[in-house]
Amino acid sequence: MSSLDRKTSRNMKWIILFLLPVTVLLISFFLYPIVFLVVLSFMEWNGIEPMSFVGMSNFSSLFSDSIFQTSIKNNLIWAFSAALLQIPLALLIALILAREPRGWKFFRTAFFLPNVISLVALAMMWRAMYNPEFGVVNVLLENIGLGHLARNWLGELDSALPAVIFSYQIYIGYFMVIILAGTISIPKSFYEAAMIDGANVLQQELYITLPVLRGIIVTAGTLAVAFALRQFETTFLMTAGGPANRTPVMGLYMYRRMAGLTYGRAAATGVLLILLGVFVLSGLQRIFGKSDAVGDSVQ
Amino acid sequence: MSTLQLTETHPALKAAAKTAKWAMLIVYFVIAVFPIVWLTVSAFKTNFEIETSPFSLPEVWQFQNFVNALSVSGLPQFFMNSIIVAVAATGINLLVTSLASFAVSREQFPGRKIFFTFTTAGVLIPIIAFMVPYYTLITQLRIYDTLLALVVTYSAINIPISMFLVSSFMATIPGELEDSAEIDGCSFFQRYAKIILPLARPGLVTAGTFSFIYCWNEFIYALLLTSSTSSRTVQLAIRFFTSQFRTDYA
Amino acid sequence: MKAKTVCGMILAVLLVCSVFPAFGGGAREADREIVLTWPCIWVGQDSKADTIEEIVNEFNEMHAGEIKVVIEPQPDYDGYEDTIRTRLAARQAPDIFTFKLSPTTAAYYSGDLLMDFSDELAGSWGETFNQGNLDASTINGQAKSLPYEIGFTPVWYNTELFDEAGIDEFPRTMDEFWDACDKLKAAGIVPTSQMTGGTNSWTSMLWYTHFLGSYGGPGVWEEGWDSPAFEQAAAVLKQLYSDGNTTRDAIGADAGVSGGHYQAGRTAMFINGAWYIGNIRENSPEVYRATKLAPAPQAGDYYGHQVGWLHTNLGAAHTDDPARREAVIKFMQYLTAPEQAKRVSLAAGSLLAVEFELAEEDELDPLQAMFIEAGIQAEFLIDHVEASMPVDVVYELGQAIGAMVLEDRSPAEFVQMLRAADPRE
Repeated sequence: MSSLDRKTSRNMKWIILFLLPVTVLLISFFLYPIVFLVVLSFMEWNGIEPMSFVGMSNFSSLFSDSIFQTSIKNNLIWAFSAALLQIPLALLIALILAREPRGWKFFRTAFFLPNVISLVALAMMWRAMYNPEFGVVNVLLENIGLGHLARNWLGELDSALPAVIFSYQIYIGYFMVIILAGTISIPKSFYEAAMIDGANVLQQELYITLPVLRGIIVTAGTLAVAFALRQFETTFLMTAGGPANRTPVMGLYMYRRMAGLTYGRAAATGVLLILLGVFVLSGLQRIFGKSDAVGDSVQ
Repeated sequence: MSTLQLTETHPALKAAAKTAKWAMLIVYFVIAVFPIVWLTVSAFKTNFEIETSPFSLPEVWQFQNFVNALSVSGLPQFFMNSIIVAVAATGINLLVTSLASFAVSREQFPGRKIFFTFTTAGVLIPIIAFMVPYYTLITQLRIYDTLLALVVTYSAINIPISMFLVSSFMATIPGELEDSAEIDGCSFFQRYAKIILPLARPGLVTAGTFSFIYCWNEFIYALLLTSSTSSRTVQLAIRFFTSQFRTDYA
Repeated sequence: MKAKTVCGMILAVLLVCSVFPAFGGGAREADREIVLTWPCIWVGQDSKADTIEEIVNEFNEMHAGEIKVVIEPQPDYDGYEDTIRTRLAARQAPDIFTFKLSPTTAAYYSGDLLMDFSDELAGSWGETFNQGNLDASTINGQAKSLPYEIGFTPVWYNTELFDEAGIDEFPRTMDEFWDACDKLKAAGIVPTSQMTGGTNSWTSMLWYTHFLGSYGGPGVWEEGWDSPAFEQAAAVLKQLYSDGNTTRDAIGADAGVSGGHYQAGRTAMFINGAWYIGNIRENSPEVYRATKLAPAPQAGDYYGHQVGWLHTNLGAAHTDDPARREAVIKFMQYLTAPEQAKRVSLAAGSLLAVEFELAEEDELDPLQAMFIEAGIQAEFLIDHVEASMPVDVVYELGQAIGAMVLEDRSPAEFVQMLRAADPRE
């Protein structure tokens, strides 16, 4: 007991030294802006004239705006589809590649490629793909006998949101890479032992790979959900919130308020977006467990 | 699904699983590679062709497009700037986050979990909300319109993600290795540099990839925090061309 | 690697940090030359880019050693607006910049961020500008920006497609217009290009403004939301989106798509400004040659008007240094002199708020000549929605069109949606 304390105190100056650079950067680039954001959320400010304190009125005006309500709902849909579609897809592909089939390195690189392309270019391509006059999505559907599904994907009330989310979440490169990197640390001997015991591949994945990877999967899932919650570029470029306000998200709503020089409302939106993220992620962690970056198993 | 592969006793199922696995890989390969192919072909088309028949091959292959692209004055410098910014920002980011991740994931100290939670909560922040504070900060640091402004900003913006990834990977390293090293007389710093850092390589590579791609593609803050041609990055040169699609209305 | 090494590395980074800005500062103080930076959107492939660069270079040569204007290329529209907005919020206006004057950006006039040109404009300089544009740029007696580029957008129509459908001339009344649409459809041609995408629903916003002018006349914006014209014009817009009067992709389409359909000969009518001439001349010469311009058909009491507005204003940072102020004024006067305006206008096809005389020998694109003719013929000009309403309303326009068409909302509900988005309401 006392030796552990002594060890900790001896290491303390090292720990402080190690945490210092990150702390300095975080204070300047996160803490200061967040304080600014929170203060601003109680102000009315057009970016030119002096700010004036307005209490909670930014927040109350947000909640009475039906477009804002839709944005929250859409953010949740984005987050859940990241957790329930994007991550399982990434996991599946990572598990296939982790068994190192022929050409797996080639596939890994290929699957990561879309993440290197800028969102502007991807959005341009998907807008063209979904276009009902000259797009290929409808042509594809017609060719496989599903012509009745053909539509103006981004211009119809029901299909626009799923179409936008699909165009973003179909690319799983980041999360595949994270999970794949996690599989490297699993010793091959685990599988060999299991095989001797007669476990089939499904059993091996379920009882060996997944438990070991749980922490990494939660990490990947947390990032996927966070990205999904804060994204606005894809929505901005694909539909700009349309048609008929079916696809707005909070990030876009915030950006629009900045452009409209209502910085107070923009800040309030930002604050609520962060709170929503904390809420969603802690909910997910309750279900799937914590990322084990600070797990108690260590030391 | 490959995971449905069963043991030798079910050869038919095994064959089916193998087919499904390869079908999956090939379908996803098409999905993943299509954007690159589309962009490459589009690079040879006129804007009019891209807008009116985006999925056909160009009628005349427009090599002129590349001549135009290369003729943007200062393109080599933009490339150089992008490389400098991305490498430096990623380097600084990995250095500082690996130090902090080591402390957080391998050591015990009061406030450890709170530190980690607050650091990584940064992944939730819509960075676009910080335009005014970042601009103010950078001008007050008197580094407006320098590459350093971008290096510092980018390395900071990516801290939450890198902390998340690097400490997750560091946490999976078995503790025994470190314990024996400590018994052998390794100092705190040596444990970081000699034991944990090499073993956390997959995490560092992943975080570094994220950071590098972010720096390479970032546009909004590059536009905001630099102004003169000498400190601009390649994304701005690219916009000289992509913005044409938006100049149809002035 | 030892602890000292890492400490050394951190120290090195800190040192580099401290050295960088010193370099920047030292170099500038050395000379007495006044340097004015202009974050400029007219660069790269923009039609005005070359001429503007020439003008700036000439000015710098004339004032070598005294004043130097430096263009900082800003190749992205949204990014440019973000940057200007943020810099103003941080109280650091660029020396020279451009912006779209609207009820939202009129806020830039408050405080003392922008230079007030009123005193200088009171002299002969002011007379070179179109008075209406100058008045529009003067708020509370302060001219904190100069009117520069004008937007002017008549209806374009493809005479070949009209011939094909058996229509002799551009329809004058709405009955004739819908009749023409039916004939075009019968010939397998889509009558109009429309769009709800992008940030401002560009093409459809202009169609809407045309009809707004026809119902509400020149005073419709002063009358405000209570004018019945907003609803009446919305009803026409709704019809334009129905019964195949536009393309299937109109909801959600952006300006590239809507213009592309016209250029490809898929649609017979379209609306855009003169800056689009170069684009269409290059891409589809046949459509370019077949294109003629017209005022929109008469829907209400008014006819013969056009949609025209102040598109770009020139602004400058307020400064207490008289020498700097003088340098900015000198440059602005040079840039907005009639002979420079004429060069820009002829080279780029843009219309400017500065009045100049055309000489016989000036070569004019035939379509550009039609634009000038249409401008002369116009009974009155009406500002488009973007120039007259806060940006929040402009964003909502495409959404309201979508709601009207997809959810079968009434024109009254359409207006209600726009009103709800107006922060002034």
